[in-house]
Amino acid sequence: MIKKITLFIFLFTSLILSQQIDFNSPQNIKLFADFLFCNKDYLRAIDEYERYLKMCEDDSIQFKIAYGFLQMGNYQNAIEKFSAIKSNSNFYDAAGIEKLKVFFLANDTSSFISEADLLLQSNNPYNNNVLRFKNSVILFTKNLPAKDILLSPFTFEEKSIISDFYDWKKNPPYKSEQIAGILSTIIPGSGKIYTKNYSDGITAFILTGLFGYLAYSNFEHKHSFRAWVFTGLAAGFYAGNIYGSIASAQIFNARLNFEFDEGVKLFLENNNYFTPVYDFCK
Amino acid sequence: MIFVNKIFLIFLLTISSKIVAQNSLQDQFDFATNLFQQEKYFDAITEFKRLLFFDKQNQFEFKANYYIGLSYKNGGKFDEALRYFTLAEIKSTNKDEYFLAKSFQVRTNILRRTINQANKILNQLEDEETSNTKLNEIKYWRGWACIFADEWNKAGQIFSEDKLDTTLAKLCKSVNDEMYSVNFAKYSSFIIPGFGQFYTGEYVSGLISFGWNILFGYLTVNSFVDERIFDGIVIGNFLWLRFYIGNLQNAENFATQKNLLISNNALNYLQNNFNGLKP
Repeated sequence: MIKKITLFIFLFTSLILSQQIDFNSPQNIKLFADFLFCNKDYLRAIDEYERYLKMCEDDSIQFKIAYGFLQMGNYQNAIEKFSAIKSNSNFYDAAGIEKLKVFFLANDTSSFISEADLLLQSNNPYNNNVLRFKNSVILFTKNLPAKDILLSPFTFEEKSIISDFYDWKKNPPYKSEQIAGILSTIIPGSGKIYTKNYSDGITAFILTGLFGYLAYSNFEHKHSFRAWVFTGLAAGFYAGNIYGSIASAQIFNARLNFEFDEGVKLFLENNNYFTPVYDFCK
Repeated sequence: MIFVNKIFLIFLLTISSKIVAQNSLQDQFDFATNLFQQEKYFDAITEFKRLLFFDKQNQFEFKANYYIGLSYKNGGKFDEALRYFTLAEIKSTNKDEYFLAKSFQVRTNILRRTINQANKILNQLEDEETSNTKLNEIKYWRGWACIFADEWNKAGQIFSEDKLDTTLAKLCKSVNDEMYSVNFAKYSSFIIPGFGQFYTGEYVSGLISFGWNILFGYLTVNSFVDERIFDGIVIGNFLWLRFYIGNLQNAENFATQKNLLISNNALNYLQNNFNGLKP
């Protein structure tokens, strides 16, 4: 009897172990695709998910495909796939805000704004996130609403950051190109110092002064050829210093704009673009 | 007798079912290997990853990781290749598998020109290995590491030792002989402006450089002789010095560029015409 039971157990366990793996069964394709997705191998995961969708309908998989495209930076396909998620799907609302993220990352501000407005008119549970996202992106545009309106959807901590961005945008600490030019016309190099380009300013002042003095000195000593050479050089440096000061103000302002844009982008990135956090890879 | 037959039957069933399970993974392995052999690397990686995912008993762990590494390497994705060769090393079950995974880490590092890393692994392997064949292989890859580090002379010496690879040794020697000395080009131009350009075969550039330096040198010296100190300083500083320094940089650049060309031609030749083992 004991022998029979032992044999039965042995046979039973070995039969379980021995089941042939069907690599192409929908369940196994999905399991493998999830594994790839969680290992951030999105391209292969998408291939597998698409195979799975040919056999079964699953809106979570459609969402994951779109999300995979987004992670890969393939924005066109991401928009296409997020848009294909039906309104009765559990992922419809999340797809809406993810589409906003895609438009933002693809630098398509006009589509972003119109899509955000559409979402805000609907009963999207993420409407507060959409509004915060939209109000952050509005900081990149020229038409700012009143400060209170812009800050209203944000949390207390976020408000102080956004308020700083808002103030900066309203009164950017730009340097005037005209003032820089005029200053350099009066005192060579001073326009560059005004734009905080100190080393260039001092160099321009010394060189223009030196060549001006040499020209004057040579005229005085009647070395007219040398005097004209130095006059030409002094005039060149003088004109260059004025032009350079205007360019320096432009560069200063461009750098400020760049820093502002990067600051807002970093703020959005740190807040995950106000999109939900998914537990696909627990 | 009947009882014995039953046992035999059960035994047969058990064995055959186990073989079927193994075959299923083996088939997947064969399928993936076939894709690899057809150079369909993207698909091969997918199928090897699938094998790894379903191989719960870790029978194919080394092979699958190794082939994924190879596929990535052949596809030019060296960072990913290194990751999988490292995994293969961790999953290796014997010394040969360990050595194979390590040697491919070296080869990938050579290809992506992280030569220090390649040498570090080679040093480690050298400390661990005792077999002559493997020590020779280590030496062989060290030679290749030198080639990719542009140290053709050192590479030639390594390949010559114990006649490791006479073809490569000859090639390295000829490339080294063909190379220009950057320091000679630069410092010879210190003494005679334009000489470095002549040395690298850039005769027109050498002549022009020589001419400018003679002209401005003459004007500078002449100004000082005539006691026109200011003119002498201005011409010497803004013209002669500018052309003199330009001549040195020019000579150095020509030698570097020519060497790069020689080196790239040699690597191109190795890639297309050398039939031996390559990284």
